[in-house]
Formats: sequence, C-alpha cells, structure tokens
Amino acid sequence: MEDLASRIVQKALSLGCQDAVADVVTNRSYQIRFARNEAVISNRWREKTASVFFVYENRVLTSDIKDLTKVDEAVERLVRIAKGSQQNPDYAGIAKGPFKYARSRPDPKVLALDEGGRYVEAAVGGALDEGAKECAGSFWKYDVEHFLATSNGASAHDHRASLYLSIRALVSLESSGHGIACATKLSRFEPEKAGHKAGRIAALARNPKPGKAGRYMVVFDPLIFGSLADQVGGRLSAWTVMAGLSPFGKKIGKRVASPAVTMIEDGSTDSIGHKRFDAEGVPTRRNTLIQKGVLKTYLHNTSTAKKFKTRTTGNAGLVFPEPHAIFVKPGDWTRDEIFSEVKDGLWLTNTWYTRYQSYLSGDLSTIPRDGIFHIRKGEVVESWKDIRVTDNLLRMTKSVVALSNKTEQMMWWGEVSVPNFVPYALIKDVGITRSAE
Amino acid sequence: MDEGTDLVDFAIDYAGKKGAEYTEARFERQEPENFILKNGVLDALDVGEDRGVGVRVLAHGALGFAATNDLTKGAVRQIVGDAMKGAKASRRKTRIRFAQEQTLEMNWSVPEEKRLADVPVEEKIREIADVDRAVTSLGFKVAARYFQLSSNRIMKYFANSEGSRIRSYSPRLRVFYFLTVVEGGDAEQTYRNYGWSGGWEGIRAWDLKDRVLDEARSMHKSLTEGKKSPEGKMDLVAGPQVAGIASHESCGHPTEADRVLGREASQAGKSFISPDGIGMRVGSEVVNVVDDPTVEHAIAFYLTDDEGVKARRRYLYKEGRVGEFLHNRETAAAMGTRSNGAARAVNYNLEAIVRMANTFVEPGDHSVEELLEGVKYGIYMKSFMEWNIDDKRYNAKYAGREAYVVENGEIKHPVRNTIIELTTPAFWSAVDAVGKDLEFEAGFCGKSDPGQALDASLGGPTIRLRNVYLR
Repeated sequence: MEDLASRIVQKALSLGCQDAVADVVTNRSYQIRFARNEAVISNRWREKTASVFFVYENRVLTSDIKDLTKVDEAVERLVRIAKGSQQNPDYAGIAKGPFKYARSRPDPKVLALDEGGRYVEAAVGGALDEGAKECAGSFWKYDVEHFLATSNGASAHDHRASLYLSIRALVSLESSGHGIACATKLSRFEPEKAGHKAGRIAALARNPKPGKAGRYMVVFDPLIFGSLADQVGGRLSAWTVMAGLSPFGKKIGKRVASPAVTMIEDGSTDSIGHKRFDAEGVPTRRNTLIQKGVLKTYLHNTSTAKKFKTRTTGNAGLVFPEPHAIFVKPGDWTRDEIFSEVKDGLWLTNTWYTRYQSYLSGDLSTIPRDGIFHIRKGEVVESWKDIRVTDNLLRMTKSVVALSNKTEQMMWWGEVSVPNFVPYALIKDVGITRSAE
Repeated sequence: MDEGTDLVDFAIDYAGKKGAEYTEARFERQEPENFILKNGVLDALDVGEDRGVGVRVLAHGALGFAATNDLTKGAVRQIVGDAMKGAKASRRKTRIRFAQEQTLEMNWSVPEEKRLADVPVEEKIREIADVDRAVTSLGFKVAARYFQLSSNRIMKYFANSEGSRIRSYSPRLRVFYFLTVVEGGDAEQTYRNYGWSGGWEGIRAWDLKDRVLDEARSMHKSLTEGKKSPEGKMDLVAGPQVAGIASHESCGHPTEADRVLGREASQAGKSFISPDGIGMRVGSEVVNVVDDPTVEHAIAFYLTDDEGVKARRRYLYKEGRVGEFLHNRETAAAMGTRSNGAARAVNYNLEAIVRMANTFVEPGDHSVEELLEGVKYGIYMKSFMEWNIDDKRYNAKYAGREAYVVENGEIKHPVRNTIIELTTPAFWSAVDAVGKDLEFEAGFCGKSDPGQALDASLGGPTIRLRNVYLR
C-alpha cells in the first residue's frame, strides 16, 4: 500500500502536478447497533480507498479513488479535470518532508477482537441494573490503516485501532441517561461503567417536571461540556475563521475564556483520535489553543498558516485544517466540590442540536437531553425536562467558574465529533429558555 | 451485462446457499463533483468515482450488513460471510421480520435536459463565480461569501432474494450558500440550500443570482432598519422556508417509525408520538403535511426505495391528525402494516433505514396578500437562521432571519432575531390558513450511526398562525 501511495504521487507529478498527496486507507471497522436491549444490526466494512490531493498550476483537486486496480487511469482523469478548474491564489503548497514520526502501534488485543456482543451485553446489563428499562446505542471497533506519501518527501504509515461504545438508557420517553466508553487499549475499555452511568442518570431523571426559564449556575457533565469544547475546537480552524463561521476571528492574544480554561489540541497523545500525521504528512503535535483563557493560535495547514503569517500546526485535512483531539486541562476542584458550589442551579448531562444565529458573535442555542436536574445546595431536588440553553459560546467559555480535577474521554454522535478529554465544568449565568405556554 | 449485476446476483445466490432467510444487495456507482468558492477563491475541486456493493441478510432472526469496494466475487463472498456472521452473533431474543412486499422488476431514471456529465467544470465554476461577483457589487460590505456547488450522478442496481431487480439513475444538483453582511460593527448571516433532480437545467430553475442578491439586500436592510422584535402573543405569517423546516422537523421526524419504535433512540432520538398514535391530533384541521418521493425535480425524487419498494405519497399529518408513519419493511412488520417505501441509504456501504424524502405542507388556496390582510398586528417571518428541536420532536425553535412587523395587513419595518419557541402541537394548532405559494429548499437530513446525511427537500407555502407567543 505504501508503494501504491508513492506510485500515485509519482504518476501525478509525471503529469505536471506541482504537489501531490496520496493516502491509501484500508478500513476494516466493525459495528453493532443495538436498541430495545438487543442488537438490531451488525455492520462490517472492507474497503480500500486512495484519498488524493493534486495541485496543477495552483489548481487544487481532491478525490477518493475507489478502483485501485486502475490507479493510473484514475490519476490521468483527475489531472485532466484539475486543468479545467480555477487557480487558488491562497494555495501555498504542502509541508516539506521528510519527517520523523513517533512510534505507535495499535493494541493487538483490539485488532484481534472479532465480535463485540459481550460488550453490548455488559453495557446494557449495567444500565438495567440501575433501573433502566430500555437501552440503545452502538459498539464500534475502529480498525483503519493509512499509508501516506507526498511529493514533498513525506512517507508515513499509521494503523489506528480503538473501541467505542455509546449507550442511552431510558426509564421512559422523558427519563433517560447517556454513557460513553472509549479506549485504544482493550484493558481500558469500560462499557459496563458507561451502562451504569447511563442507567443511573435515567433512574434519577424519573418523573421530570417542565423546567423554568432564567439564568442559572450550571454543572456541565463531561458529555455536554465535551460538546461545548467541540464547538470551540471546530471554530478554531483557520478555515472557519476565514469563512465567517467562527466567533474567534481577530481574537489571537485576547481573552476568549475564563482563566480556568486551558485547551490543548493534540493528535500525538493517546486518545481515540490519535494520529501520527496530518493530511500533509506533518507529525501531529501538542498545540495550546487557549492558555488560561487567552487565545494562542488557530489550527492551520500550510496554506492557512501562510495567510495568517504563521506555521502549520499539523492539522491539515485535505483542504480544511481540523482538530485531531481536544484536551481541556483539568482544574483543582473535586466533582463534589463543584456540585456543592451550586446553591440554586442545574446539572446538565447531555445535549444535541447546537445551532447558531450568528457564527460571528457566537449566539447559539442547544437542547439538553437525557438527565436535566435542578440542584439546591449541591443536591438534586428535581428532574426537569423541555428546556433549551440559549446563550453565547464566548460568554459561556468566559463564565467557567471551575473545572473538576479529572477528565473523561468523550466522543458522541453529532455533538462531539472530535474526541476530547474534558472535566466537569461549572458555568455561571447560563441562559435557559423553554417553549411558550 | 450492466455494471454490478453479476456481483449483486451472485451475492443473493451465495447468501441463500449460506442459509440466509432473506438477502438484498445493492451496487452503487456515484460520481460526485463539488467545489467551494470562498470569498471568491476556489479552495479545491472535489470529484469522485465511487462504487461498491453492500449486502444485507436476515438470518437467525437478525440483520447483518457488510460492504466492500473490491468488485470481485471473492470480496463479495467475504462480505456475505461477514453479514451472516454478524447476524448470527446478534443472538436476538425477538426475531426481526420484514413485511411482505410486491416484487418489482423495473428500470427508472430521472431525465436530464442537459446532462450533468456533459457540462464542463469551467462552466459550473463560471456560473457560481458570476453570482459571487454580483454580490460584491452591491455597494455594502458582504464580509464573507461561501458558495458550494455539488452534483452527483447515482446509478444503482438493487436485487433481493424474493426476485426484485431494479436499476435506477438519479442525477442531482445542489447549491448551498452562506453570506455575512456587516454594517457598523454589526453582522447578519444567512444560508440557503437549493436542490434539483435532473440535469444542468436546474441551475436556471432557481433564479439563483436574483435570489442571492435579494437575500443580501434584505440582510443589509435588517442591519440598517431592523428593530428589536416585539414580545408577546400575536399573529405570525411564516414563509415557505419556515413552513418547510417545521414540516421536516416536527412532522417528518416524529412520524419515522424506527424512531417511534426506539431503533434510533441513542442517536437521533425517539418521538412524542407513540406506536398507537395514528389519529392523534397535533394541529388544526387545515394542516396537511405530506412526504412524497415522487415530486418531480425535488432533490429526493425516487420511484423505488432502497429495499425495492415502490414509492408513494404519504400523509404524515392529515387534517391536523397523525396520518401515517414512514416505514421500511422492518418497521412495517413490527407494526403489522406494509412498507410505504421510505427506506433509503446514502451509499452502497450503509444499510437502508427509514427516511423522509420531500416533506412539505400541502398548499391551500390563499395568496400571501390574503394571509397578511387578516393580521392586525403580528410578524411576517420569511426565513430563519438558527433552529433546533428536541429529540422527541416536541419543543422547536426557529429564529428569524428576514422578518417584518405587520400592522393592519401592511408590512412595516424589519425586525431582528424574532424567536418562535413552541411545542409541536402549539405550532400546528395555531395554523388557521395555508397559502398556495408552495416552494422547496434542499436540506441534508442527518440520522443513524454511522451518520447518513441524506438529500431531502423541505417545503411549504406561506402559513398563518394565530395568537402565538413570540419574542
């Protein structure tokens, strides 16, 4: 496959391309979806694709070549198409290799795993033990191998494997909880714990009352704080800033969060988002995005870095810079101390459907789902339903009062698109609205 | 022999020999082409030639699915084995069944006046660049411009072990744009999405340049003349874009039978409508919301679904009551009914699940002027920006983009960020009149895991709601 990636690059260069990248990807992933406490379908993929990036006289073309038996013809066709495209004056090349990469190999026990039913049963069992009636979710074994070659001398291999389980436990339609388990090592994969958490929240969320609008001190469980962190990470791509899709434009060196918040982007550390290199072959690294509340950098590829007069951060996608994994530095509060701080507030455990009225200002709303709890003097006094967080991304990040001293790894359908490690967070004056009577 | 036929037929035959109770296989070839013009710069042109085979089996009372892009019999044999193994490993206590459906042998294709494949990419870029240039000549600051033109040519061959054999061809065209207009340190943002099933002639059907320029002008007007939106109970006249999103979010999604039955509970959620909810009142008697895959040129047009079932119009809400659920064969069997052809997949490598197609409020007979004439004081919300809805599809929010105060039937000044935050029954029960100006926009509807962002149309005419709380 390494040979194939190099062959594609050489073929593109021979046809006059100034830059070329080929990433030959083998996907052998496997999934079980479950609902109503049992498997509803098992999915397995056996696919090989060459993701390519060709630049001909500053005309940029990307494609996935699916027929790897006719690669030369495919490259010829793609270069022909590229010639008809429009020049990109912002294109500034790809990073110069060769590079040295940190050693990395997947857990052989994860690779050897061929059946995940027992993990589904463990998660569902954990939730039912806590009083849940109905569970749904997904188990994944990710097994993806990359062979990358670039015309600037990068040549790299990365075999990425991890385990993931997401479970939603329900006592009733309006009483539910969610749990996540993810790990790159089988020994650290804890689906039963995720099931217990989902079931515990669901049981506590019994008989919810309609919530009340207002501004509240809110404890964000890691899953919903992970969603907030995902919004921040995604909006820090230099591309989103240039497209008017970010509230972080012109804010480098300025306060964008409370001093309690330090956010790191790091594809090189162990996480299910771990990657040895980005789409230009640049080794991933630790990037401090927000240091004690102050914005330090956007995420860059070579072209956006030139535009912003800086250097690539190793976050190239084929066209857009993107985060690999986000780490919010833990604080020094225990979870109990965070809850005790709330005299009259809320505990939110999950959310979905985050949408912006203005990406530039950060005005947004998002809808809490699963357990929503009213807290008085640190204790849950009531389960709520039917509320919406209506606020502003920057106002919320600037209003973080405290972070717990432990982080958990999160990734979830739609809302936490990039894996992150996040603690519990306490945020003050969070706007809550609800449907009119 | 047509592409994919031998592999699909082989998969059906081989799975039968391996003991599958039912098998279906899909070959797809997709030829997507996509580019983004960001602030006048074409970042990259993305083209593809995607093809592969997916096989789903029903065995041991369970479902197994597997897919490959290796178009050899050896690879197909392997994925049939994977699907069978996955089904067996499910160890289900309750057996999955499929509703009995008619077998079909047919070929269908969407006609193209001007084939998408025959239009050079230069011409497509020129078309969008021309609109972009026009936006920059408006005389006010459009700080960020983002245009995306996408097309796809989708060829499928479907077969199942019951004898269905269906070949289809769907060419699709889509334009998405996102604009930021700035004035005096304040900004207004918008996005729009237009879709078409057919050839390049679709680009003319949209009047794209005029629409984009009108939208940008209305954004500037909002910034320079817009006032705070009034708060309280008042009438609301909601334009086609608002009616369209509401029909999709609070009519289409809650009537998806897989959600009603809990199959999507962990991701897209469930529904406030229970399995015995047919006939439940959710709106006034003038509310009819349909989902119809057979609307010509709508982006989600199809004649057979991805389980080989014939497509037809479905009345989701009929005269204000729940009319029918959207079904595939699995949910139909679970509810003791027949599939109504709502099973779709994004590509060969994903299972077909229950999906909306072209969802819209059925038009009535009022003109927009007649709807406005009946309003003493209220808001005319032509379009929205922010929106969301909870996972049981009960509490929705639509935040206005272009909106105006209406006094005694006359449109007055623009207002900014009008908020509709209502329950599904409160929204639809307040509708007292429905316009005849049916329009569609395109959307990507997200569902399932792995996520399947699928072409959908959202449509409706202008509708009038009485005495609803706005802020």
